[in-house]
Amino acid sequence: MAAPTRRPLGVSVVGSVPRVEGSLSAGELAAAAGISEARLARLVRLGLVEPAAPEVSRFSAAAAARLRRMLRLHRDLGVTLVGAAIVVDLLERLDRVERELARARASSA
Amino acid sequence: MAVKFRDYYEVLGVPRTASAEEIKRTYRQLARKHHPDLQPAAERAKAAERFKEINEAYEVLSDPDKRAKYDALGPDWKGGQDFTPPSGSGRWTTVDVSGSGFEDVDGFSDFFASLFGGAVRAGRRGGRDGARITMPGADVEAELPVTVEDLLRGGQRRIGLDGRNLEVDIPPGAREGTVLRLAGQGGRGVNGGPAGDLYLHVRLQPHPRYRVMGDDLEMELPLWPWQAVLGGPVTIETPDGPVTLTVPPGTQSGRRLRLRGRGLPRTNGTRGDLHAVARIVVPERPSEAERQAYETLRGAAGVPADRPARA
Repeated sequence: MAAPTRRPLGVSVVGSVPRVEGSLSAGELAAAAGISEARLARLVRLGLVEPAAPEVSRFSAAAAARLRRMLRLHRDLGVTLVGAAIVVDLLERLDRVERELARARASSA
Repeated sequence: MAVKFRDYYEVLGVPRTASAEEIKRTYRQLARKHHPDLQPAAERAKAAERFKEINEAYEVLSDPDKRAKYDALGPDWKGGQDFTPPSGSGRWTTVDVSGSGFEDVDGFSDFFASLFGGAVRAGRRGGRDGARITMPGADVEAELPVTVEDLLRGGQRRIGLDGRNLEVDIPPGAREGTVLRLAGQGGRGVNGGPAGDLYLHVRLQPHPRYRVMGDDLEMELPLWPWQAVLGGPVTIETPDGPVTLTVPPGTQSGRRLRLRGRGLPRTNGTRGDLHAVARIVVPERPSEAERQAYETLRGAAGVPADRPARA
């Protein structure tokens, strides 16, 4: 059977057509986070940013959201990047728990 | 043009006599408490507003020049009062608020702009020199409910967000939990700061027929006892339309029949598989002829009729 037709990803908004990104290259991620590629490479070596798969330098869009959040916490609150990574991990876990709780409440209601 | 006075001391909750050290400490505490990134997703937008107020207050009170200028207005102003900036005294910078449109929506307040100008652009956020005016817009996270059909066809979903309508192409390979980034579609920046990103979290809705297992789909294949015993071609509805599969003779409940390449599309253009899971269905109200046939079958089976079946 034929593979589904690949359409260019896009979002139509009046006046502009931004892209939908499911994953980013190292360069795209560095640009998204407003840091240099060298700094990104350092963060990857430190394990603070993880590629989508080992040995592949592509990153999920979730990694972009995470890195931007880490950098904001680092900048605004003065926590170290390692500290910010821990905060983000815990916040993600909290989000998950809250979502599961909401689902459990909805199904028992 | 009258703007509303802002009581920056009240925003930070410090006395007018507070030292620079005290102001900094209070700001750090408030930032920790109200930082949008530390709030649950649902409360982030509200927290961003509050955080902006706190930043604006800190911007003024942490900068000796700005604080002196603000203090010179006198201690009698109350937050929310109509305020007309003093003019012509030469002590006041020329106000250029054309960039901000004099709207208290995106940037610091029009009160701030009327005192310090709206088009200043300098320094990093939290900078020691206090010259921090532009701010990037907030990243916005939202959920994107999708159906199995959306994942199969890579369909477009129209979503409404803050009064905007976005049409989002669901990329092949998207799954429950996949995050999609729409650069620059988040909160607007402050005074020319870059807009934030929009992150959509794919949330897969339950489907009445198909369960999603990674790249594969799973569906039920109800079979009559004679179909399961004798086997033969059975036509089923799949996401790609009707497909005839061959049920092997002696198919037990729970047996998985695999239809290769009929599952979810992957990023590399291939597709996962569709599994039809056999489930034997017995006739609840057999006709007389059926009942007789089953009685004959009972005699022909050659196993004790009063013992469980052997698997």
